[in-house]
Amino acid sequence: MEKSLFKFIWKYSARQQLVILLITILSYPVGYILLELPKLITNEAIQGGAFPKEIFGFEFDQISYLVLLCFTFLGLVVVSNGIKLVLNVYKGRLGERMLRRLRFELFQRVLRFRLPHFKKVSSGEIIPMITSEVEDVGGFVGESIALPAYQGGTLAVQIGFIFMQNPLLGLAAISSYPLQAYVIPKLQRRVVLLSRERVKNVRAIADKVGESISGIAEIHSNDASAWHSTDLSDRLYANYLIRFKIYNWKYFIKFLNNFMNQLTPFFFYLIGGYLVIEGELSIGALLAVIAAYKDLAGPWKELLAYYQMVADVDVKYQTVVENFDPPDIYPVDRLTSDDAEPLAGEIVFQNVSFSGGAAGQEVFEVSLHIPDNTACAIIGPDGSGRSEVLQLAAGLLGPNSGRVEIGGKSLDKLPESVIGRQIAYVGPSVHIWTGTVRDNLFYGLRHRPLRPPERKGEAVAEHERLLGEARQTANPLHDGQAEWEDYAAAGVRDADQLDAQALDIVQKIGLASDIYRMGLQSRLDPAQNSSLAYRILTVRQILAKRVEEDKEVRGLVELWDIERFNNSATLVENLLFAAPEDPSISLDQVSSDPDVKAFLKETALDSRLQTIGLKIAETMVELFANLSSDSGLLGTYSFITQDELPEFERILRASRSENEKLGLTPADKDRLVGLAFKLIPARHRLGVLDDATKEEIVRARRSFHDRIYKNGGRFVVFDPERYVAPMTIEDNLLFGRPRVDRRDARERIDGLIRSIVEEMDLRLPITRAGFDFHVGVAGARLSSGQRRRLALARAFLKNAEITILDETAAGTSDEEKALRGVILDLLKGKTLLFGASNLIVAQEFAHSVVMDQGRVVEKAKC
Amino acid sequence: MTLESEVEALRRVPLFRGIDATKLRLLAFISERTHFRDGEHLCNQGDQGDSAFIILEGTADVRVKTPEGERSVAQVGQHAIVGEIAILCDVPRTATLVALGDMDVLTVSKEDFLKLLKEFPEIALEVMRTLAQRLEKTTQDLAAIKAGQTAA
Repeated sequence: MEKSLFKFIWKYSARQQLVILLITILSYPVGYILLELPKLITNEAIQGGAFPKEIFGFEFDQISYLVLLCFTFLGLVVVSNGIKLVLNVYKGRLGERMLRRLRFELFQRVLRFRLPHFKKVSSGEIIPMITSEVEDVGGFVGESIALPAYQGGTLAVQIGFIFMQNPLLGLAAISSYPLQAYVIPKLQRRVVLLSRERVKNVRAIADKVGESISGIAEIHSNDASAWHSTDLSDRLYANYLIRFKIYNWKYFIKFLNNFMNQLTPFFFYLIGGYLVIEGELSIGALLAVIAAYKDLAGPWKELLAYYQMVADVDVKYQTVVENFDPPDIYPVDRLTSDDAEPLAGEIVFQNVSFSGGAAGQEVFEVSLHIPDNTACAIIGPDGSGRSEVLQLAAGLLGPNSGRVEIGGKSLDKLPESVIGRQIAYVGPSVHIWTGTVRDNLFYGLRHRPLRPPERKGEAVAEHERLLGEARQTANPLHDGQAEWEDYAAAGVRDADQLDAQALDIVQKIGLASDIYRMGLQSRLDPAQNSSLAYRILTVRQILAKRVEEDKEVRGLVELWDIERFNNSATLVENLLFAAPEDPSISLDQVSSDPDVKAFLKETALDSRLQTIGLKIAETMVELFANLSSDSGLLGTYSFITQDELPEFERILRASRSENEKLGLTPADKDRLVGLAFKLIPARHRLGVLDDATKEEIVRARRSFHDRIYKNGGRFVVFDPERYVAPMTIEDNLLFGRPRVDRRDARERIDGLIRSIVEEMDLRLPITRAGFDFHVGVAGARLSSGQRRRLALARAFLKNAEITILDETAAGTSDEEKALRGVILDLLKGKTLLFGASNLIVAQEFAHSVVMDQGRVVEKAKC
Repeated sequence: MTLESEVEALRRVPLFRGIDATKLRLLAFISERTHFRDGEHLCNQGDQGDSAFIILEGTADVRVKTPEGERSVAQVGQHAIVGEIAILCDVPRTATLVALGDMDVLTVSKEDFLKLLKEFPEIALEVMRTLAQRLEKTTQDLAAIKAGQTAA
């Protein structure tokens, strides 16, 4: 990468910089005439004589001459500002493009780092480099050549103007420049050094903060917050010292500069005044010179600021870029090549040695011949070199000496389009991407955009713009909106078949029941999957019938019935008999929804609900106020959290107050209604809801429904005949609530649902719906076993010729053993390298290699 | 059925006799009110005990496994508290409870009951007193049996 900022700028924007320079030069004469005109106006038009004047064959008297000059002035003002506008827009765009190019280049370099390099760099350091540290560089690029050219030019024009009026005055105007030009760089040098230090300090802070976040459980479990707080505090102190020093130096430079600048007028007025008095200079000229002189300060200041900025930004650029140039970085081709040549055959290690930079990460002189289409176990404890051998075979590591070949091709030379598509690798620690189960399953099939979306009209132009910008900044031209799944690679024809394939695999590796449960908890868009929605409704009807016929079941569940109050559901569900269209909206938020508010007002239920809320608050405060905060009872049972308790005590006091002003505010009332909304009568048994109110609530449902039908959107009505999109699939199946006052009602109803789902052959479609389950940040909503199996399913879906598994299903438990059987069965006729630490596992494989301390100690048919 | 009526019922449970109404309301609130139908099991002998039952209404049959099969040994009725031993010490259920007719029961989970005891030592005292009385009674019974044996 270009080591210096100016090299980077010149390499990628020379043409644009020249355009900027050209426009800037064009603006010089305009600027000069703009300075000259006022003098002409005062001297010639206002004070001058000898009229009429003849210009281009036209005669002008004094007034029309004045008008002509003034309009010329006006015209030039417009032209000069127009140029400035065009220039600034051009510069801004160039700067943003260069920033994009730089950031992308940096990220691509991260992708090109070899794996061992990541042992030396941390994401906490890399992230601020790409995001914040280079930001100033982008802002600077547009200015880099234009600003000194423009401001330097302006300065030169103005100094030239002063010189033309009087050389002596000119000398006076620039008298302090040599001194400044000598002193300031010396001072600036110190600032540059401090800036470097500051950048590194901030990086260390970012890294420490990042590390604290990822190790937060360790901090708490070891009472190490004081340690980390102190560590960070010390770094912040260092940061403070550096920043304050920089500030002082910068301010000192500014001060020195201002001081010298203000010394100049001393010479200026002295010499200028003397010349006027002596009659060697006209007063008009002096006035214009003074005007020009005043304008000198601006460009000079800008130039100085520019100089300081160059120093600052160049340091930032260099301190960033030096981190992205490791000597052994992969060539760009490795990432961008789209060669998909087949990769199959014998896996051969020829005297392969590798050193990961620490003991236990080494491999010495390993030679192996693993015939293709066989399963081979690589056995060895952690630190034996097993993992390194497997990563070498997967092309993730490159050997320090020797060769790793598959089918006669050296892996180190092959691009990722070959290695990453023909080899499936699941390592000891898997990464699950933030997204849905489906995103993760098909991750190994998304190499290039394959089926672009159909675009029409404005969308085509919009896409063209996007591509145009990408070309300008050396970004990839891939279509992010296209479908990327490579059906052919997976051996299927279309999306349905791919889903079917995925279902088959998750069933085989024992993830299906987990995904089925995710499916039950997920939400379905009935518009997109109407047949499944319809079948779910069928199950709902069968269930309803079962409930009606079977007294035993009837006692366990309260179904949604628009004519009846559901004691096992919250008051708000009972009242609205609808759910917010956006399932992420909480009950608290519903109470401040405008439609809900208007409806409560109309039905006069709002004051009723406030009273209920007040009674609940009263009971909660009475029951829980005397408890110690650490009893834990409050959190588990109360409607109110410990933190909210004082707030509700205040609301209670306010409600008792006679004084209007001290009474309940509208926000308090909303809170009380929100509290009442959470009430589940059968669970909470507070006795605040009498039968009459329940009946009233049931009656009010219809009027709320009329309102939302009229106003449209935001709520979806519970309709037994329709699929209710905001409800989970499970809630849609049951369309009711297990009774909270019956023991194990939930479990028994779940069992019933499961059996009907089985009967109706819905298990697979619901599992498929579970593919849309969002796994949370980096799979946080999955258990570690689920994450591992998901990664395994992903590897199988790739349908690769060679599969490499390390520490996956490598245990000795029956479950793992069974999974191993499934894996071997799935990969029959393909090549499998299976890494395990336990020797017993080797017995299940025809071929095996045993590693110890980086060396092969035993080989069977390899 | 509301909290108030449950508090009334709790008041009649000997264990809670000396405890003031607010705390009983808290106890009632944190308990789960459960309905059992005829023949349903409240708990099974040998299971890990995780809750105590306070019978609000109805009767339960206490059954114990014997070599000759399950045998009913006693019946517990309204205002009785059962299973509290399981809460205090980790022993498996010593008997099976089966509802005779419809029953309403307050179920207190082990954690919550212990939290409550910590929060209000007077309840703990009352529990101690009751247990001590039971121990006293058991000791007397044992003494009587032993006396009977020696007499024979």
